[in-house]
Amino acid sequence: MRILFLWLGVVAAFLVPASASPQSMTACRAKPELLKIGSTLPVARKAMAERKHLRIIALGSSTTVGYGVSSPAYAYPMQLRIGLEKALPGIEIEVINRGIGGQDVEEMAARMRVEMMSHPPSLVIWQTGTNAAMRHMPLDLFEQRLRDGIKLGQSLGADFVLMSLQYAPAVVALSDEEVYERIMAKVATDVGAGLFRRYDIMRGWYDDGMPYAQFVQLDGLHLNDFGQKCIGKLLTQSILGALTGP
Amino acid sequence: MAAAASVRDIRLDLFRGLALWFIFLDHIPTNIVSWLTVRNYGFSDATEIFVYISGYTAVIAYSRMMARDGWTRAAARIYRRVWQLYVAHILLFVAFSAQIAFVSIARDTPALIEEMELLGLGQNPYRAILEAALLKFRPVNLDVLPLYIVLLAAFPFVLPVVVRWPLAVIAASLVLYAVTCRYNWSLPAYPDEKVWYFNPMAWQVVFHVGAACAVLGPRLAWLDRFRLPLTVLAVAFLVFSAFIALSWHYNPLERLIPAWVSRQIYPIDKTNIDILRFVHFLAIAWLVRLLVPIDAPFLKWPVWQPLRRCGEASLLIFCIGTFLALSGQVIVGQHEDSILSQIVVSIAGIAIMSSAAYVAAWFKAGETAGAPRAARAAK
Repeated sequence: MRILFLWLGVVAAFLVPASASPQSMTACRAKPELLKIGSTLPVARKAMAERKHLRIIALGSSTTVGYGVSSPAYAYPMQLRIGLEKALPGIEIEVINRGIGGQDVEEMAARMRVEMMSHPPSLVIWQTGTNAAMRHMPLDLFEQRLRDGIKLGQSLGADFVLMSLQYAPAVVALSDEEVYERIMAKVATDVGAGLFRRYDIMRGWYDDGMPYAQFVQLDGLHLNDFGQKCIGKLLTQSILGALTGP
Repeated sequence: MAAAASVRDIRLDLFRGLALWFIFLDHIPTNIVSWLTVRNYGFSDATEIFVYISGYTAVIAYSRMMARDGWTRAAARIYRRVWQLYVAHILLFVAFSAQIAFVSIARDTPALIEEMELLGLGQNPYRAILEAALLKFRPVNLDVLPLYIVLLAAFPFVLPVVVRWPLAVIAASLVLYAVTCRYNWSLPAYPDEKVWYFNPMAWQVVFHVGAACAVLGPRLAWLDRFRLPLTVLAVAFLVFSAFIALSWHYNPLERLIPAWVSRQIYPIDKTNIDILRFVHFLAIAWLVRLLVPIDAPFLKWPVWQPLRRCGEASLLIFCIGTFLALSGQVIVGQHEDSILSQIVVSIAGIAIMSSAAYVAAWFKAGETAGAPRAARAAK
């Protein structure tokens, strides 16, 4: 019994440094070039200038829903709203969460029109790719649906920013997740949409020595509180950069 | 079964108490003390322990009642318990929301709106209250009781079958579990895009395996013929899962895991209790069965007394623990996540839970002692 406690003590001492990793946002970083989304968001700028109003739809899957986070307010769409409200006083910011867990381009492109007609946005954040990669959706079909979806959304009068896959054990274990991410980058460039490089940003955290437990839930797939808050904060910076830059 | 029911199995209260402490510690998001809980050393966590023991004790509590008073009375008693759980859940919901409101009012007014958004109450509070009454809207960490309510509400129909054919119940339960995972069945929640965080159609497997084990009782000794291979398998699986779990905290370990292994194990779903979580729990249960026999003398050590008391008053302690975890989160946040505050909050929370359990035991002792006297007085 005593030996058991000794062992527990040794294990606990061994683990202290890891768990001491703070939840505070000081560890939330990204290289500046990763935060350039490659679009000036003309529709959103116009809406802000003319109507003092910016309506954003966050279209996506479980990350957008905020699966498993300890408060809905930590999910990136709410973080985006809070961040933009602080940075853009005098502008009414609205972020509508249209995330449905488990979906990908196919289902989301299919509901794009309905979502955008009921509350016409100036900007759509489209978080996608992860479920497609996990379900091994054929690459050409993925590209086609993504392209069609964005074109449809743009024709309804909104700017688009794509959010790429998350860097998490379940995603990294796939052999071709980077192909999906490259397709997203290519399509974004082709159709003039922005790209928020979530995959590269999160890989940066991992390569800097941040353990998965700090930003991914124990299921090895979903972002945890820190991951969501940090992605929300960096997304806010990226959008602000695009809205206020040259 | 009769043998299992006639001796009170101290292990059930003890481990349920432990699960309740773990749930409290794990519900404080930044808490160094949660390193003492199972979830950091493998796939499963305290939820499996709690649900399994709930199934096990449900059989012990209601099977004798059914044998003595018939099915109708047993079913009525089960639904009275379901009602108690429902009332407890709603009370907890109100107390939880009130605590958030209190915290935000105590700070300053503009924060109030944001904090209520935390709950999802902000945009449409009336709708949210309706959905809460329907168990579809549950703020963070209030997911376990609705699961338990659904499982127990189905239990009157499981009970007569499980006491006769426990293995058939295990088989049917596994089939439902497999079909649920295969076809992604889920229960809708509020707001509309959400689903129940703990899917009852998947999690029922833990509850019903617990119930069947309670019926099998001594007959489980049949498994002892395979004691050595089962133990080797269980230990090997626990070591493997501990390695994986620790790799989430240490990148050098993580890099040792081949991609094909990761491809097989991830994601380790919690909503539909991934098979790895379930097997991990079964491995723990097997080893506990060997290491902690029902008559182990150390079970009666007074040091375990607080755990047993908490396990006996599990509903009360669960509610208090969930409420206190939120307080703990707020307090730790106010102290900028300092490690000292995490330790103090954890110890204080467990002390409060244990004291409440002792008070509950004291009340109960008073009732049972008073009952014969009251009966005599009535005559």
